[in-house]
Amino acid sequence: MSAERYNRQIILKGFGEEAQQKLLRAKVLVIGAGGLGCPALQYLAAAGIGHIGIVDDDTISLSNLHRQVLFTTADIGKLKVEIAAKRLQEMNTQIGIIRHPIRLQKNNILDILSRYDYILDGTDNFESRYLINDACALLNKPLIFAAVSGFEGQLAIFNAPDHLTPSTNYRDIFPIPPDKGEVANCAENGILGVLPGILGTMAAAETIKLIAKIGQPLINKILNYNLLTQEQYTINISHGGGYILPKTVDDFLNMDYQDTSEGPQGYIEIDASELVKLQQLESTILIDVRERHEVPILDKQIFTQVPMSEFGAFMSKEFYQKHVVLICQHGIRSVAAAEAMQEKYGDAKKIYSLKGGIVKWRDHFLKS
Amino acid sequence: MEIEIISFGQITEFINNQKIEVDGIADTDAFKQYLEDRFPALKGIKYKLALNKNIVQQNTEILNQATIAIMPPFSGG
Repeated sequence: MSAERYNRQIILKGFGEEAQQKLLRAKVLVIGAGGLGCPALQYLAAAGIGHIGIVDDDTISLSNLHRQVLFTTADIGKLKVEIAAKRLQEMNTQIGIIRHPIRLQKNNILDILSRYDYILDGTDNFESRYLINDACALLNKPLIFAAVSGFEGQLAIFNAPDHLTPSTNYRDIFPIPPDKGEVANCAENGILGVLPGILGTMAAAETIKLIAKIGQPLINKILNYNLLTQEQYTINISHGGGYILPKTVDDFLNMDYQDTSEGPQGYIEIDASELVKLQQLESTILIDVRERHEVPILDKQIFTQVPMSEFGAFMSKEFYQKHVVLICQHGIRSVAAAEAMQEKYGDAKKIYSLKGGIVKWRDHFLKS
Repeated sequence: MEIEIISFGQITEFINNQKIEVDGIADTDAFKQYLEDRFPALKGIKYKLALNKNIVQQNTEILNQATIAIMPPFSGG
């Protein structure tokens, strides 16, 4: 039934019907339908991976389109997993696509990952990457890792042993996550759309090689790719030790992955990259709660100034925006403002506080 | 002795790819100390060294004409 669709790869020497059957039987989870995830998904679906899961809780915005090539201008505001699943299903009607419109967290990741054989990490933040790494190590799932920064990318396969070395994981290279703000992300730093396109495609190639058992997948190796020079530099990974990797589900649940998810308090503490995302939504109001004399002075076209001393009066008025981001110098007063807002609006509005404040994200505010 | 330095990501902003002529750097611990003294910006960030394309997991002897890569973590997607 599928022979004609996959004919050009089946007739390839060293691939054949047997490899194609392995792809059709495989279950691959792609986490993040962004710059890396979109091209990876396209090639995995086209190649005939039988079951593909997509995890993403985000909606499509205009600034995604230069690199997230599954989406069109008409898709702005819609859920990424919905559009991605629709496009992929149109491209290949013979495979199963499973939508997971959620953000992976400690309490749901093990359940979702356990339904798949291979995990492809195309996320955009360290919290998710360490969470995924540790969950894959715990469940012994091969993890295809791709990440970008500036004009460069990194690609590796973790939790898959080869004939020389037992399996390694991301913590063998970087035992603990960088502090927030230590490494700039795409939203702060910028990214040329084609770079995650290349890395995402390479990640799909590694996934296919791993499943079909062809060539030399990047097991226990990390490849550094430079777009500007077209140079690649591959480093062998060995066991590092000296880090904590949860060995049981209980240990895992006790780890701190600094989830920026909703806590018991109701409002959400966010970083600058999430601020950028929220800023693009029309239904967002950004409120600077510092007093009028405080510096740096922010652009009043973008940031509505409501000093804490006038906050009570502001709260008595109605405003239409659904997302409310509160900002102050260090992220302390904005928490107090967020608590007050949360108490008044409950679920009617989404309340956010910028963690660390303007001081922590100085570069972001000086640019904007 | 001669050591070739290759850097990646944000580290290229303050350490260019270069060959250095140094004496008295016998192992990777000493090299790390040398790097952080000469490029203080390195102290504030996470990075990993690779000696002749092998990740450095413990103090390792450096021989003449070694290549050492300095790699930071990337998270972007």
